[in-house]
Amino acid sequence: MKLTTLFDKGEFVITGEVGPIKGAIHRDKSIEPTCAIEALQLHQHVHAVNVTDNQSAVMRLGSLAASVRLKTNGIEPVYQLTCRDRNRLALQSDLLTAYSLGIDNVLLLTGDHIQLGDHKEAKPVFDLDSVQLIDMAKGLKRGYDISGSRIENYLDMAFGAVVNPNSDPIELQIMKMRKKIDAGAQFFQTQAVYDVKIFEKFIKKVERFNCPIQVGIVVLKTPQMGRFMNKNISGIHVPDEWIDEIGSVGKEDYKKKAAEMAGRFIKKIKSMVQGVHIMPLGWTDIVPDILEHAQIKPANNKR
Amino acid sequence: MHATIQKPIGEIVKHIKSGEKVFVVGCNNCAWKCYSGGDDETKMMAKRLTDRGIEVTGYTAPGPKGMSLCKLDHTRKVLMEEHTDEVKKADSFLILGCGQGVHTVIDATDGGMVHPGCDTVFGGETVSDTHIEEYCSLCGDCIIEFTGGLCPITLCAKQLLNGPCGGAENGHCEVDEERPCGWILIYERLKKLGRLELLDPYQPAKKNSKWSRPRTLEVSPTEATFCSIGGKVTVSNQD
Ligand code: SF4
Ligand code: SF4
Repeated sequence: MKLTTLFDKGEFVITGEVGPIKGAIHRDKSIEPTCAIEALQLHQHVHAVNVTDNQSAVMRLGSLAASVRLKTNGIEPVYQLTCRDRNRLALQSDLLTAYSLGIDNVLLLTGDHIQLGDHKEAKPVFDLDSVQLIDMAKGLKRGYDISGSRIENYLDMAFGAVVNPNSDPIELQIMKMRKKIDAGAQFFQTQAVYDVKIFEKFIKKVERFNCPIQVGIVVLKTPQMGRFMNKNISGIHVPDEWIDEIGSVGKEDYKKKAAEMAGRFIKKIKSMVQGVHIMPLGWTDIVPDILEHAQIKPANNKR
Repeated sequence: MHATIQKPIGEIVKHIKSGEKVFVVGCNNCAWKCYSGGDDETKMMAKRLTDRGIEVTGYTAPGPKGMSLCKLDHTRKVLMEEHTDEVKKADSFLILGCGQGVHTVIDATDGGMVHPGCDTVFGGETVSDTHIEEYCSLCGDCIIEFTGGLCPITLCAKQLLNGPCGGAENGHCEVDEERPCGWILIYERLKKLGRLELLDPYQPAKKNSKWSRPRTLEVSPTEATFCSIGGKVTVSNQD
């Protein structure tokens, strides 16, 4: 099911996220990889689950294989595809493969730089940027590859893109968002946000695009994590209040507190957006709690 | 200029076989400016090799100052006519210059054995006598018209053409806190020039065929022909 169908119906779209394992899926079909187990936990509460593509440039199981595994388990995957490791041939081929294997949603992004990952001597590809990737994907939807040759059986998937509301200067980020929409992006998931004011300012500037936006939530698990992200993850800022608040409880209560904080934050901004993208970083079990604190009806999927 | 940096001496020496006689060739243009292969460094390299027990038959950085090693006819004349005996005695040539210079010596010596003495790091702007910066990656299909002359292929770690990724923080690139985000540089410059509208149009995927290697250029006073996998392009400088 395409997420665009839900947005069109006016549903508040909830997505989660899992990262494929570092290794292969077991040949014994009864053994699920961790990412599928996490996704199964999320399943009752979200509409779809993003599957990251060698996230942070760390080599892992392919996002397509993991996405297909989710689909087999009845979970709607949002297959992430980045430009870092593939040239235009591979990107188009992978998009066609994904559609052929039943994938309905794809999130098209540039990808983290190789320098951030575990294969620092690899050759970065970046043959296309994310706008060109979206434009190319739109071509495949209309029956043409990027070189202008006709293709058989066009793909029909929902195209998602990302935007970072924390970016400074924000005008530049918004210009790129506009280009992504022109190129064919149908919905957006934002980078992790922790500041209502910044987000509000951003939303005011992009309302005119009339394109569904899911606010990105990275669950803040510990004060250490907040400090680590501020120091090491570009484009995300965790305000001191967040770090102090999660640090105000004992370790055993971090999960409870994290759910409460994330939920409270979502509650404050849910009226500004068309959905939420929750990145629980392994704490998938607290997603129901987050939604409850946010006073959002879970997706309530049936298996 | 072609920026070069000498390889560590241990690495250079490692590839010279025992008993191998070496002639050292420097470059009096770019490598001179990089202190990697001018007259002084070439002479010094001869001494450093001799000190390590390697027989050096001779050395030269074909002059005058400002003369490029990669100018084949000149290099050939200097090596073959001015250093005939030393060159004849040599089993190999150690080149203190860029990779083009290395090949020039191969051509000049009719296929002599060579050792690269430098790493060729980039083509750059000589910002000061001691500082060189990279602004162009020699891609063969220049697109900096729409970026106010700042190259996103070179200044952006992901070579993005339609605007920045979401990773810049406080003006720095996500890849390296030490380097500015190329896209913020482009934005600030165009803002100052009042030309931000240049960024509006969609920039299509780059024509990488012109970035194929190796490429050639035929030049004449009136026209030039650039040849890459992308085909031959001839342009007049007269019409
Ligand atoms: S676009 Fe190509 S030719 Fe132009 S400055 Fe950049 S790398 Fe050099
Ligand atoms: S932070 Fe800026 S320079 Fe670095 S990859 Fe992103 S857009 Fe390019």
